[in-house]
Amino acid sequence: MDTFNDFKNSFNYGKRNNLNFKFMSLMTDDEAANFIEELLSLSGELLNEGNIENVIEHIFQGQKFAYSSPSKYVYQEGPFNPFIPKLSDAKIGLLTSSGHFVAGDDPAPFGISDMTQQEAINRISEFVKEKPTLSFIPKDTPVNKLCVRHAGYDISGAQIDPGVVLPIQELSTLEQQGIIGELAQTVYSFVGACSQGKLKKEIEKKWMDQIKEQCMDGIILIPV
Amino acid sequence: MSVGHIARAFEKNGISTVVIATEVFKEKLISMSLPRVLITPFPKGRPIGYPGNRRQHLRVIKEALNLLINATESKTVLTIDEPYLSKD
Repeated sequence: MDTFNDFKNSFNYGKRNNLNFKFMSLMTDDEAANFIEELLSLSGELLNEGNIENVIEHIFQGQKFAYSSPSKYVYQEGPFNPFIPKLSDAKIGLLTSSGHFVAGDDPAPFGISDMTQQEAINRISEFVKEKPTLSFIPKDTPVNKLCVRHAGYDISGAQIDPGVVLPIQELSTLEQQGIIGELAQTVYSFVGACSQGKLKKEIEKKWMDQIKEQCMDGIILIPV
Repeated sequence: MSVGHIARAFEKNGISTVVIATEVFKEKLISMSLPRVLITPFPKGRPIGYPGNRRQHLRVIKEALNLLINATESKTVLTIDEPYLSKD
């Protein structure tokens, strides 16, 4: 028989794993109990005249509460590179930590191609010790050739519409409208749940040179 | 915060950056002193908005681009006022 503590922690890669609610493991028992109680109450209201927006807002507030702490990496000063060109002449890049790649170009974590999302979830403790792999995604990649796999977040939204985390289509629209000069030919994605130390080394050793080849004026970065 | 490391590295290498992130990560990103951050009031895993709402996504990205070109100093953080279940 599970205790309540076991129960709320089991959503975090346990037997009730649910990446939308894994944050409950960061809450005290009382906090998690209050969250669940209110979630049930709002859900019950949906049977009558309740509002789905209230349910979504409650989940969002729960996530905010649970994750609200500073990064392990705290800096006092931030680098700043002014953006000089006119936006309508500028080449804009895109890089996300969403775990997207092109079909046929699987980054094959741990040497395993076609790893399922569930298999990735089962190996989360290995992912966070691993060096990340940068996936190169041509901007004209058809949506049905885009794949996503990431053990750290619920990918269901990204599976329905990559634009929620990898807005290639949207940036292409802005390119066609002349709002930006162009979207860089290649956009990038990797699995953000990785060794942060190894990531920093990869950026310096390899990624920066690869990405700078595109001569971008600015880049949009999207964490998940 | 993987993307925070990348933002700092790009800026040091002469490439201007703007981060679009859900408010869930606001405190973590602020503590990393990033140059430009656009915060969206959306759930984790959907930082650009509701699946399929292309108009909403475009509003978010345009706001990020405005931040990219208009920020005059580092650690500029804006929050977009945009309902997740936007009707248009």
